[in-house]
Amino acid sequence: MSGELIVKAEYSEKDAEIFVSGEIDIYNAQQFKEKIYRIVENSTGDVSIDCSGLNYMDSTGLGVFVGALKKARQNERNIHIINIKDHIKKLFVITGLDKLFIIH
Amino acid sequence: MELNDKITLSLPCKAEYVSVARLTAAGVAYRMGFDIDTVEDIKVAVSEVCSRLINVSGKNNGGYEILYEVYGSKLIITFSSDIERAGCIFEDDEDGLGVSIIKAFMDEVEFCPDSRERILSMTKYIEEKS
Repeated sequence: MSGELIVKAEYSEKDAEIFVSGEIDIYNAQQFKEKIYRIVENSTGDVSIDCSGLNYMDSTGLGVFVGALKKARQNERNIHIINIKDHIKKLFVITGLDKLFIIH
Repeated sequence: MELNDKITLSLPCKAEYVSVARLTAAGVAYRMGFDIDTVEDIKVAVSEVCSRLINVSGKNNGGYEILYEVYGSKLIITFSSDIERAGCIFEDDEDGLGVSIIKAFMDEVEFCPDSRERILSMTKYIEEKS
């Protein structure tokens, strides 16, 4: 099913790269949160989230991104969002969250 | 403006069915001639309302209805429910993200059209091609 949420992580020496694909809504936001938080906690450097496979997200997903950023910032680390589709990036822009994240 | 068609969807307040509301919205909007970007916006706006309804319904569950009204150049989407805490569902929304998104993506939004069953009504106009 194309909408199924898949989260994979790759770790380098310090940093972590997360690959997200599928759809994030109220049904799987909690599952997304648990996976992302665990990866952020396990990383000692910055975290990049590659959203090239992410096809849909609403405010439930945005909330998880914000929570993950708070966790990263507590340890003076950052979250980079890469390859995000325009219609999802729009959510960050209209809510002003594009100013908090580093979006490439 | 003449009402052409009405599509009604009745769903339980369960997270697993929000995608059904979204897909129906996309199908109706696409058929009306909205462009792909606008269809995506409408999907998100519908999903925001469904998610909020599910959150306020708590463990009592219950259900809600979505009425998609197709006019020549506009789509009106109306949500109604008989759940106990229906009404102004976004009144105590903590982060306000859902409201910001709905207002940005839809052309007109009535957040509390009725005090009882009708919870929210939102309209999107088809932009005329020049």
